[in-house]
Amino acid sequence: MTQPKSDAQILCKNVWKVFGPRPEQVRQLDAGLTKDEILAQTGHVVAVKDVSFEVQKGEIFVVMGLSGSGKSTLVRCISRLIEPTDGHVWVDGDDILAMSRKQLRALRRHKMSMVFQHFGLFPHRKIIDNVAYGLEVQGIKKAERHARAREVLELVGLAGWENHYPGELSGGMQQRVGIARALAVDPEIMLFDEPFSALDPLIRREMQDELLALQKMMHKTIIFITHDFLEAVKLGDRIAIMKDGQVVQIGTPAQVVMNPATDYVREFTKDVPRSRVITAQNVMQPPPVVASPTDAAEAVAQKLARFECVAACVQDEQGHFLGLLPREHLADPPQYNGDDLQSLLVDDCPTITPDTLLVELIRLTMNSDAPLPVINKQNRLAGVVDRSMVMAALATPAEAADSEEKPTLQ
Amino acid sequence: MINWQSLSSRAAVNKRDILALAALFVIIFLLPLLFAQLPLNVSHFPEALNLHLRQPIDQFQDWVVGHRATSPAFVYFFDPVSDAIDWGIRRAEDFLLGTPWPVILLAAFLLGQWAGGLRVALLSVAGLVFMGGVGLWTESLQTLALMLVAVLISLAIGIPLGILAARYDRLDSLLRPVLDAMQTMPAFVYLIPVLLFFGIARVPSVVATVIYALPPAIRLTNLGIRQVPGATVEAARSFGSTPRQTLVKVQLPLARPTIMAGVNQTIMMALGIVVIAALIGAGGLGREVLISLQRLRVGQGLMAGLAIVFMAIILDRISQGFARQELASTNRGAGRFVLLPQSWAKFGPARALEGLLQAGLRQAAAFARLLADGLASVAGAGLRLFGLNDAAAALASQFRRHSFFIGAVFLLAVALAVTAVFPAGDFPQAWQFDLTRPVDNAVSWMRDNLYQIGDLPLGTGPLSDFLVIYGLNPLRNFLQNWLPWPLVILGVTLLVYLAAGGRLAIFSAAGLFVIGLLGMWDMAMDTLSQVIVAVAVTALIALPLGVLSARSDAVELTLRPVLDLLQTIPPFVYLVPVIMLFNIGRVPGIIASVLYALPPGIRLTNLGIRQVSHSAVEASQAFGATGRQTLFKVQLPLALPSIMMGVNQIVMMVLAMVIISGLVGGGGLGLEAVTGLAKNQTGRGIEAGLAIVILAMIMDRATQAWVKRRQKYLK
Ligand SMILES: Nc1ncnc2c1ncn2[C@@H]1O[C@H](COP(=O)(O)OP(=O)(O)O)[C@@H](O)[C@H]1O
Ligand SMILES: [Mg+2]
Repeated sequence: MTQPKSDAQILCKNVWKVFGPRPEQVRQLDAGLTKDEILAQTGHVVAVKDVSFEVQKGEIFVVMGLSGSGKSTLVRCISRLIEPTDGHVWVDGDDILAMSRKQLRALRRHKMSMVFQHFGLFPHRKIIDNVAYGLEVQGIKKAERHARAREVLELVGLAGWENHYPGELSGGMQQRVGIARALAVDPEIMLFDEPFSALDPLIRREMQDELLALQKMMHKTIIFITHDFLEAVKLGDRIAIMKDGQVVQIGTPAQVVMNPATDYVREFTKDVPRSRVITAQNVMQPPPVVASPTDAAEAVAQKLARFECVAACVQDEQGHFLGLLPREHLADPPQYNGDDLQSLLVDDCPTITPDTLLVELIRLTMNSDAPLPVINKQNRLAGVVDRSMVMAALATPAEAADSEEKPTLQ
Repeated sequence: MINWQSLSSRAAVNKRDILALAALFVIIFLLPLLFAQLPLNVSHFPEALNLHLRQPIDQFQDWVVGHRATSPAFVYFFDPVSDAIDWGIRRAEDFLLGTPWPVILLAAFLLGQWAGGLRVALLSVAGLVFMGGVGLWTESLQTLALMLVAVLISLAIGIPLGILAARYDRLDSLLRPVLDAMQTMPAFVYLIPVLLFFGIARVPSVVATVIYALPPAIRLTNLGIRQVPGATVEAARSFGSTPRQTLVKVQLPLARPTIMAGVNQTIMMALGIVVIAALIGAGGLGREVLISLQRLRVGQGLMAGLAIVFMAIILDRISQGFARQELASTNRGAGRFVLLPQSWAKFGPARALEGLLQAGLRQAAAFARLLADGLASVAGAGLRLFGLNDAAAALASQFRRHSFFIGAVFLLAVALAVTAVFPAGDFPQAWQFDLTRPVDNAVSWMRDNLYQIGDLPLGTGPLSDFLVIYGLNPLRNFLQNWLPWPLVILGVTLLVYLAAGGRLAIFSAAGLFVIGLLGMWDMAMDTLSQVIVAVAVTALIALPLGVLSARSDAVELTLRPVLDLLQTIPPFVYLVPVIMLFNIGRVPGIIASVLYALPPGIRLTNLGIRQVSHSAVEASQAFGATGRQTLFKVQLPLALPSIMMGVNQIVMMVLAMVIISGLVGGGGLGLEAVTGLAKNQTGRGIEAGLAIVILAMIMDRATQAWVKRRQKYLK
């Protein structure tokens, strides 16, 4: 089947995986049954149920869910390490499920590589031969593949460990080897199956930071599996949340945190430090009063009074942001020359970008009643944020309903 | 909360057990009385039911003999295979016997050094010198040649089959029952068919050895590959490895230690039947033992037996050495003693000697490196002439890595050259020592003095009488004459039902009936009585010793070398000293069986108790239980599956040995099989063989199923 029109690098459509002797049969069952019901009735395990999503080039797409929710199975369906029962997977427009074994091997050798939860290193091979494994199976000469392996080891900070065996390394170092091994073949796509779950919290944080740093340089397309929602929020450009084989929500971390689709998702979001996830673009609202420099001062003043606003945003005809016009400047104009508002503008007012984090917004709005203009990359006004919006975002919908648990704000 | 359902089902099981036991009691004691009133004789299986299977088999044998030259099965399969094996064994023998003895000693030393260090090297040399010293040089090398050929064939078949079985579950489940059958079958059983089909010279003995030694090679290869963690294999696949790349680069290297353990077991198994193989044409040490047993020349038999034990120990240590090398080649740190026990390091002279030895080894290694470098530079210069600089560099590092090998080849070449100029001749007469005379004297002394110690009811004679009069005879009489045959079948069926459930019970009933149909009923009852007595004696010794060694490290440490030795000695060799003390008859078979089956019994009991989780024992102690209470209430019940596994092993090993002891007057099915073999009565031998297989299968499956049930309980 040809891929539907999409510019995604990876596209999964209605993917199913059923474990058991007669999976097709289960597929025909009423889709309304739950995983447990199907297991009780037929003895089949529905590991992945009708999952669709797409991953853009250069994106970190995180799949998050509790243990047993089907994450590992899903990610293996993408490289067909596990054969999906039904559905479609396209990578760069190629139908993975239609590939011959040989094509599939070529895909795994050159385009896609994987990092495993328990590292999956080869205990009988030296570090350098572990890292060079992918190149070795491609048939690349020893000198060449060792040179490449050294390069990658350097990159992950393991230069000098080439001739040790995996058993002599700590867990964190072993997973660096795992990452180096995946990087060595220079794949476009990397699949991470809970790579940091087996590590201590401190090491885990360090590895997360390094992964982000690497990604800044490499711009790989990454599917990253985790059961740790905080990790998902930290690493993911977008997150898919799985439960019992199904994807229950897909969105950016802020979207998920702000608007959890189900109670299940809401449970995870409770532990999240919202102020470090939510950004200005999630809380901003359209500015109530927008003026142009040619507007009459009286009209603007009237508008501000009507909306009970302290300042108006001023932009030129092209929509470029010029500055804030505070109400008191209109009431008591310092050097108003009568035909242009330009001279009244505060053009050095603090502005923010759409991805300014909520923590920053709290600091900025703490002492000021004036709205903060949100300026996007094109230097256009995207919206405004003021103290009341920040407050509203900090109070989650759940917490609003459940006032006992309402946290106190300093 | 109390789980009523499981309680009541427990109660139901108990009720069923009690009913069955009551029925057993009735069958054994009351019904025979009733049957005795009947006018017909039911104690022996009716002759009218005898199938006379031996007639068609004998006809088939005649046909085979008549058509060996013309039948395509022989012309295109059995004969070529036989010829190939015959060729192989001749080459191997010619090679070993054609090599001057000093070169063989040197080769053994180098092999031992390479595989396991100086200790193994010296042990190998000492073993060979013993073999030469007692005048068994030629015989030993003949046995070694047979071993080599049989083991090579076993590995050449077993390892690929194991690899395939690891790859294809279908093949695995197909092979499993076949291997089970091969391993439960006492070797006697297939001697006759093998002889029939591969009837040339020493070929049948090689084939029989291969059949016997093959299962561990297949099993452990399969196991080793399957044990490679799925995650590791998946990682290999995820990088686009082909199945062959995954096998060669990941699975096989990781399975290597297990495969090497399989190689070791294959070698040991092969050595285990050299004596039996001598029954069908193997020469060498096995034949020596066999002949001296038959002629009751104990001294001679003991020397040959000891030579076999030496060979077993040497081959065991060398192959284990290779297996360990795979695991940790870096483990031989500097300063570690190479010969003496490390704990002697506190003695000055020991340190001095070790210092000398290590210096010598270092010198040798340096010399080998020099040699390797020299060779590499010569060869490298040649390569450089053709502009192959990279190849020359690679060659140098390869040569250096294998400098031991290069040095060894050099030494051997020098030794060969020297012996070519100054022929070494036979193993020197001057080095020989005659131990047979003193041994024979010792034996007759023991016969005279240990058989009956003074007027006391002590000694091997009274022990032997006791076993016969109070154990073997009444039991045999009970099974053969007192219990009517239908009741034997019923009783066994009930027992198996209790232990293993309905399916196996039906199988057992049918099996026993077939034994009757084969006309082997009385012989089977004879064998059964011997097995029961030997198992009882073994269990009575093994279980307490196992418990003791689990509770005391000192006992375990003392027992360990004894058990190790017992397990390296090929089964037939036990018979030699036992015969010295107990004469021939059923008793030596029993004693040998006990010795043979003791080690696994003790080991598994010990292991089972030691494996009981520490927390369970701790919990028991925390409640103030005494050591004895903890043993009986916690450790033994939890160790039961392992102990029962030990019982299973005891039963199977005893059966194998009781059958073998047919050779020394043990009677029963073993004697029947031997007679068939000796008198070339194939039908008779095969009837006995079938009966043995059936008996073995019933015993093995029933005890195994019993273990499994118990394990399920504990989960
Ligand atoms: N090979 C298999 N055979 C049967 N069931 C499986 C197999 N692999 C996974 N499962 C089941 O599929 C479900 C999803 O497993 P998995 O994808 O490993 O979850 P996760 O990675 O999210 O922990 C689980 O219920 C698991 O028991
Ligand atoms: Mg998983």
